[in-house]
Amino acid sequence: MAPRTITPFGPQHPVLPEPIQLKLTLEDEKVVDVLPAIGYGHRGIEKACELNEYPKNIYLCERICGICSAIHGMTYCDVVEKLWPLEIPPRAKYLRTIWAEMSRTHSHLLWLGLAVDALGFESMFMQYWRIREKVLDILEMTAGHRVTQSVAVVGGLRRDIDDDQKKHCIEVLKDVRKEAEALNNVLVNDYTVKARTVGKGVLSYDQAIALGCCGPHLRASGVKEDCRQLGYWAYGDLSFEPITAPGGDTYSRVAVRCGELLQAIDLQLEAFAKMPEGDIAAKPKGSPPANEAATRIEQPRGELFYYAKGNGTRNLERLRVRTPTYANIPSLLVMLPGCEMADVAIIVLSIDPCISCTER
Amino acid sequence: MIDKLKEISKDQLLAEVKKYADSKAKFVTGSCNDLGDKLEVTYYFNASPGMDMSALRFVVGKGEEVPSMTGIYLTAVLIENEMKELFGLKVKDLAIDFGGHMMLAQDSPVLPMLKSEDQKAAAQKGGK
Repeated sequence: MAPRTITPFGPQHPVLPEPIQLKLTLEDEKVVDVLPAIGYGHRGIEKACELNEYPKNIYLCERICGICSAIHGMTYCDVVEKLWPLEIPPRAKYLRTIWAEMSRTHSHLLWLGLAVDALGFESMFMQYWRIREKVLDILEMTAGHRVTQSVAVVGGLRRDIDDDQKKHCIEVLKDVRKEAEALNNVLVNDYTVKARTVGKGVLSYDQAIALGCCGPHLRASGVKEDCRQLGYWAYGDLSFEPITAPGGDTYSRVAVRCGELLQAIDLQLEAFAKMPEGDIAAKPKGSPPANEAATRIEQPRGELFYYAKGNGTRNLERLRVRTPTYANIPSLLVMLPGCEMADVAIIVLSIDPCISCTER
Repeated sequence: MIDKLKEISKDQLLAEVKKYADSKAKFVTGSCNDLGDKLEVTYYFNASPGMDMSALRFVVGKGEEVPSMTGIYLTAVLIENEMKELFGLKVKDLAIDFGGHMMLAQDSPVLPMLKSEDQKAAAQKGGK
């Protein structure tokens, strides 16, 4: 047996946008064991949500993540609406769907940029992020902010999308789709990308289920599961089918996200075409009743789970948030052992880790 | 209200979890609530394939040991460590034990998710 060394990977590393540490046990260049260490970004948001009145928690939840901020806000509202229960207007369902898919579009573009950068394709990284700017621009135009959109209120939304904005969004989305498709075709067919990703970090169908994985990471192991199949908000009215890939490796995870990027744009275009006129919010009365509820929403990285318990006051008794990366980190314990040290970066990145989400 | 919630005792936990594992269900997550002198623990599962969610719930006294389900679902390692350090749930036989410092640093507040006396009084009075 070769001598073993323990090498820390992170918390600060060029491919890690956020801090997580992996203690890698190596035999020469081969990884034989891994222990993830988190806790660098824990902010106690769940506790803070018990101490604030329930409408203020929207702003806290929107700050759990800077990439899917809008989805956190809307998911918090969704679980509180289930406590009442409170039905949101049909137009609000479409608007939530549109902003959720807009978030997915820019999140996947962000990840694809990071992934190709980790593989050494700096020019392609800039191309993905250049077209991502167009999506951020329409997010800013419609929601008022590039990062923390803050459109959600309990009962619906605080902002509408008018006809001029809708027309502009459709033009931009069609343009982004064309450019993204061209980039995706280069990416998935490139010799070097295949050499660095095919067969790397393999997670089988059974392992993905046993380890509770979710999102594109799960679907890249051939599991056809996506919370959008539940038909929440407007998804029940849209033509949606989960995108899967059979390989379970890093290449499959790239391919699934490439497909989902285009699908997210198609869903927005379909939602714009079908969106009904009408109110954008229903007004809740009083405080959330003494009740409990759970909800699941498909975030760009996978299933986002919120549990809320009311006690009849303006404060929640408990709020629990389980983000997709929290579910996907344990799979690294299976994916990394056996790989080469040089492949660790792209394998870790392939689960699209969001640590601020994970630690809350 | 949580759909398909089954209330069990902590002694039934591993047998019930094993049934989920045998049916190839996915473990979703757990949550813990401070009930005063007791802790309420809920574990959520997802039938796979499909998206049908169900849950197991048990209540234990603070200081009572509960078995770890990481021998069946390794992925529960994060939530069990989290409940241990944030709520003081005494989880026995964890597959990986972070020793109370997965989320919290050495100088962090101790068991920060337990309800303070102010919180309990506010809830009883009907507001903050």
